[in-house]
Amino acid sequence: MPRGVWFSVGVVLLFVVLPFVYGNHDLLFSMMMYLVLAQGINVLFGFTGYLPFGYVGFFGAGAYGMSLAILLLHFPPFAALIAGAAAAVLVALVLAPLLRLSGAYFAIASLAASEVLYYVISNPHLTSITQGPYGINLAAVYDSSASYAVMVAVLALALGMVVYLRNSRTGLALQAIREEPVSAGFAGVNVVRERTRAWLMSAALAGLAGGAYAWHVSVFYPKPVFDLNISVFAIVFTLFGGVATLSGPVVGTLLLYGLYNWIGISQPQYFQLVFGVVIVALVLFLPNGLVSLLRRVGANVP
Amino acid sequence: MIAYTLSAGLLFGLYFSLAALGLNLVFGVMRLINLAHGDFLMLGAFLAYGLYTVAGLNPLYAIPAEVVVFMFAGVILYYAVVPRLLASHNPEMLSFILLFGLSQIIEALAVIAFGNDERAIPSTIYGSRPVSLFGQTFPVAWVVSAAVSALALLAVYLYLHHSRLGYATRAVMASRDEAAGTGINVHRVSAIALGVGLALAATAGAFSAFMLGSIGPDMGIHITTVSFAVIVIGSLGNPLGTVLGGLVYGLGLMFMETYHPSWADLLPFVLLIVILLIRPSGLLGQRVRLA
Amino acid sequence: MSLSSVSRLWLFAGAVLLMTLVTGIPSRAAGIPGEIRIGTLYADSGPFATSSKSQLQGLKFWVDEVNRAGGAYVRAYHRRIPVKLITYNDRSSTTTAATLYNQLITQDHVNILAADFGSVLTSVAVPIAQEHRMLLFDQTGTGATFFSTKNPYIVLTSLPSSAEWPYSLADFLKSQPQITRAALLYATNDFTGSQAQTLRQRLHGSHVKLVFDHGVPTSTSSYALLLHNVQAARPQALIEFGYPNNDIAFLHDLQASGMKFNMVFTIFPGQLFALMESSVGPKTLAYTYTYPTPPLLVYNRVNYGPGLDNFRRAFRSAGGKEPNFLNIAGYNTGLVIQKTLATAASLQQLAMRRSIVSFSGKLHTLNGTFRIDPATGAQTGETLPVGQFIPAGKGLAVRMLYPPEVATGRPVYPAQ
Repeated sequence: MPRGVWFSVGVVLLFVVLPFVYGNHDLLFSMMMYLVLAQGINVLFGFTGYLPFGYVGFFGAGAYGMSLAILLLHFPPFAALIAGAAAAVLVALVLAPLLRLSGAYFAIASLAASEVLYYVISNPHLTSITQGPYGINLAAVYDSSASYAVMVAVLALALGMVVYLRNSRTGLALQAIREEPVSAGFAGVNVVRERTRAWLMSAALAGLAGGAYAWHVSVFYPKPVFDLNISVFAIVFTLFGGVATLSGPVVGTLLLYGLYNWIGISQPQYFQLVFGVVIVALVLFLPNGLVSLLRRVGANVP
Repeated sequence: MIAYTLSAGLLFGLYFSLAALGLNLVFGVMRLINLAHGDFLMLGAFLAYGLYTVAGLNPLYAIPAEVVVFMFAGVILYYAVVPRLLASHNPEMLSFILLFGLSQIIEALAVIAFGNDERAIPSTIYGSRPVSLFGQTFPVAWVVSAAVSALALLAVYLYLHHSRLGYATRAVMASRDEAAGTGINVHRVSAIALGVGLALAATAGAFSAFMLGSIGPDMGIHITTVSFAVIVIGSLGNPLGTVLGGLVYGLGLMFMETYHPSWADLLPFVLLIVILLIRPSGLLGQRVRLA
Repeated sequence: MSLSSVSRLWLFAGAVLLMTLVTGIPSRAAGIPGEIRIGTLYADSGPFATSSKSQLQGLKFWVDEVNRAGGAYVRAYHRRIPVKLITYNDRSSTTTAATLYNQLITQDHVNILAADFGSVLTSVAVPIAQEHRMLLFDQTGTGATFFSTKNPYIVLTSLPSSAEWPYSLADFLKSQPQITRAALLYATNDFTGSQAQTLRQRLHGSHVKLVFDHGVPTSTSSYALLLHNVQAARPQALIEFGYPNNDIAFLHDLQASGMKFNMVFTIFPGQLFALMESSVGPKTLAYTYTYPTPPLLVYNRVNYGPGLDNFRRAFRSAGGKEPNFLNIAGYNTGLVIQKTLATAASLQQLAMRRSIVSFSGKLHTLNGTFRIDPATGAQTGETLPVGQFIPAGKGLAVRMLYPPEVATGRPVYPAQ
């Protein structure tokens, strides 16, 4: 059995069982959504070193792809969800040339790309297609249990993808590229192809999460699904837990998003401050995240 | 209509040059993108706003305070983190993430200190009668902001090309290692450059209430992106290219807002992506490194 | 990997999750409840903070007032029961708001659920309330899509649906023969977009031509260039629909540009008069038009709760501030809740909705007549008249212009 399978099964089962003992399903749903997004960031940043600031663009593309497939093409929700993922992958294909840029330029360019997407989708001139700034209403297909179940499945897929990457040739090749792109190229690794593959996989995860989110809330405006804070949260959770591991983003999300909801209910203005301090402290003192601490004390973490 | 748009574009172009110049100076010297640039501009805006509400002073009086406070802040920030980062195995990415964290901290503290409401300094503070320029009439505040921007750009030019520190700064921009080899104190030059960069951002911030409409703690990230677009258009690491970038952006923005206002918000982002992909060296200057 | 590390992480993750999620599940008391729990959200930061906090302040004022009297009279138990207000801060974020509405329903088991300010933050509550069969007291979320005959779990307590706001404005324009060219500048969001749509339809075919009709992003904070474009179309009347930030920026830039239009209309000076007056100054507001709401507009036929003067006095002595419209809207929500508790046969949600339908149209508060469409829950009783700010002494007074039954004078046209 590959490393990490039991861990993934455990996490998924947790979200299957929790709804029966805990009533705030929206909180569980958001928790899963961030688990998926954090793993999506992990797939790209952890395995290639590209940090997509504009990752939320794929999430929004998924939410809108799903919604428009229902509203314009009258797809049933499950087919529409696939359409949402396809929309995100399509966006990723169009943006694939951004991978030619190095580190920080890529990060800012991807941020700009997500803003472009937002301003196009929310443009009043496209109201007849996207509903423009007036938002989406999917009340006709609203189903909170089915969309919850779908998010559980997407979570399983996200964890499975990271398990695969950590145990496959592709994953090893990607990590080789991350460390030494030039020598990896010499060693016969097709740098561009492997990198693009991780990019598309990561986009598909965000697209699925966005589609499931759209279905779950069913009424939304463009701003919340293209909110830069979604990228920021997912990035911070991933960095905090530790990149290129399976458990790091999970632990990071459970801890920080748990904290967010705990503090968030009474003292939200301090939360962004905590985030900022966490990031600065991580860079200066613990660049490999929380899980590296566990490793240091000898635990064998997936 | 065209004459009006052109002249407004020139005024805004000068202003955006100033807003972005500090980011480019810092990039040129340290090869790192200051993601907190816009947040320092925001702090500068609140300092000017504070002086206005407490003492009724117009933002021109804020400039000396901005320069002193932010020069210090820049020097302290440099010695606190930069040498440590430059010694790590991936300084570009790590510093990027660290400055991102810093930008979150500044924004959060600003929310706690000032609250999240949008604020404005009345643009009638310099008198309510519009100024006539190139045969068109403009709010006085625009003209004052653009004039201050032009003077600040001139000052930076004189500093870089006609002062000893300026020569050293340009040497570090050309090559950090070679500059160190010729006996230049690279850390000192870089720290001062970061100080100057933040002071320029803060000075631009003092006038942001007029040129950007209103100020709020969350304005930083947008300004950082716009500034980045401006310096990429001009060319990274070339402070004078920033003026060209600012003018291109200012004119582009005014033409979009006049003829296709609902698409105007797209402009900085589209320009940024297109230039990075097609001509990463900007309109002037050399190619930047690519992966 | 070893099983021990797996279970260690498992326990770790599970413990953290439980620790942060379970904030205590209050037990449901049998028999007579010790308190009536009312849950609502507010935004302490973000674009809706100003309005949202005012609205909450009004609701809180009502809670304090009722509790001083020993609680609200609850007909289901034939006695007064204290009211407990449970509030969370959603920071103007719809995602956070969704989680928190859910928290109020599933964890705090509130008896009554009230929405946050405005359409955006109300939008996410509508499906959640419907799913949990909770009646949503929608305070100011006026989006037309919220109300349908299929969903009985919503009732709008204040303000008509936003699409109905410009009815009297359109009629007023049509009643002015000297106005033939009008310009429309609006922020593209549900709230102002639907008003622009209505105005456009209602003016269509009349002698008033829209010579300029333009939507701008809600985030627009500079109108200088747009005003230049408007001026080029030479309108007599300029109608600007926006949120408070838009209206402030618009009025600012209008003042700085030195342009003059015969008639200028904006929404929020009529609702947030003190804020607008301090932001743009009385000189800029003089002779502009608006939809006046209480306290600028006084309803004299009050049969439930205090009249405007009494409310104003009490509110001032409690908080030291002049009430604004959203304070009154929040307070009005309290009055509607109070009336509901006093008439509903049980605290069951649909029983409350039935009792609301039964008193709809008969309740006259300081906020006007409360009347809902019995099929959809949308507000139809309160209408928004048109008024103009006229200089009076050092400040401004509102002259009511339209509809004729509330008019107190004729417009000053062209503006001076």
